[in-house]
Amino acid sequence: MNGRDGRSTRFGLAGHGVTGGGIARRLLAAGAELVVHDPDAAALGRAQAAGAIMAGTAGVLAGAGVVVLCGPSPHAPRAASLLSAGTSVVSVADDLDDVRELLGLDVLARRVDATLLVGAAMAPGLSGLLARSLATQVHQVDELHVATHGTAGPACARQHHDSLGRTALGWHDGRWIEPPGGSGRDLVWFPEPIGAHDCYRAAVADPLLLHRAFPGVQRITARVSATRRDRLTARLPMLTPPHPAGDLGAVRVEARGAGPEGERVTVIAGASGPTAELAAAVAAAAALRLAEVGAPAGAHSLADDAVTHLDLLHHATHLGVTVQEFTGVARATHW
Amino acid sequence: MKVLRRALFALSLAGAIAGALRVRGKGGVPPQEGGWREVAVPPR
Repeated sequence: MNGRDGRSTRFGLAGHGVTGGGIARRLLAAGAELVVHDPDAAALGRAQAAGAIMAGTAGVLAGAGVVVLCGPSPHAPRAASLLSAGTSVVSVADDLDDVRELLGLDVLARRVDATLLVGAAMAPGLSGLLARSLATQVHQVDELHVATHGTAGPACARQHHDSLGRTALGWHDGRWIEPPGGSGRDLVWFPEPIGAHDCYRAAVADPLLLHRAFPGVQRITARVSATRRDRLTARLPMLTPPHPAGDLGAVRVEARGAGPEGERVTVIAGASGPTAELAAAVAAAAALRLAEVGAPAGAHSLADDAVTHLDLLHHATHLGVTVQEFTGVARATHW
Repeated sequence: MKVLRRALFALSLAGAIAGALRVRGKGGVPPQEGGWREVAVPPR
């Protein structure tokens, strides 16, 4: 695995859990040299058995060309430290506050001429790539609506749980709105085998990142699927421990707008599969392409114009993502 | 007896409100036509 300068790129990975394991597998399969740090000795052992180099301390990762942050949030302090050392970073963080702070590292990244890719997982991440792809099919995009189902590892499940109990974020007719998490029910039909699930507003980062990438879009929403128990207990600690291996998940992105003749157009794309695998495929594609092709210095989401040359959706399909489109009559609900 | 009557009244009121919300809620239904199909993503 050679970088832009033709030299071998060493990758770093912080966090070898369910998603991190999938990222490591893909990077190693691509022939990358990978250094892994995880506070859990068992996880480190698994990484070493898979062919990665163990890093005793997180500081060792700063010597890598590109580091993927895959542990629980917050990622911003570690990303700042790595960027200061001139290392480019790919973060899979989906916590709204963490993503805000990561975007705030833009100035630092530009100063040290490094790249920070923010939200490189299923949502945000694949959701942004699908939105960018859909935007090419609509003459003028007015609305973007993201819905997700499923969680990856335990950290992701906790984040999903917390997000339903916090204030959500949406972009509505030119201004930010902050509805309560768990409100705004909508029944969303995800790609099979997930099918239809009730989805609700939550404190997720997609609207923030999509608004950066598509500043002209009038309405941006993000919802996550949840059960009645999820909503009822969202403000309490998790009553049952999260599934250690994650579960099947899906992402669905709907773009509405106007066609060339002014007619209303709605296009929908999605993907389904083990949530951790979808996230891992996107993060690995981002890290590999960042090392191979490079990207402008600064903090970018995967949906940003500045990184479209990485062609991440295409490369993610080679790493396990199957993109689907909805063919039929999209029946608008109340979004 | 008064407490029981009040409790029953409160329960029926809650049931009526829940029923009204259930019927008049804006949740919508999944599309009845069409479906999902895999698409290839060619390189840019």
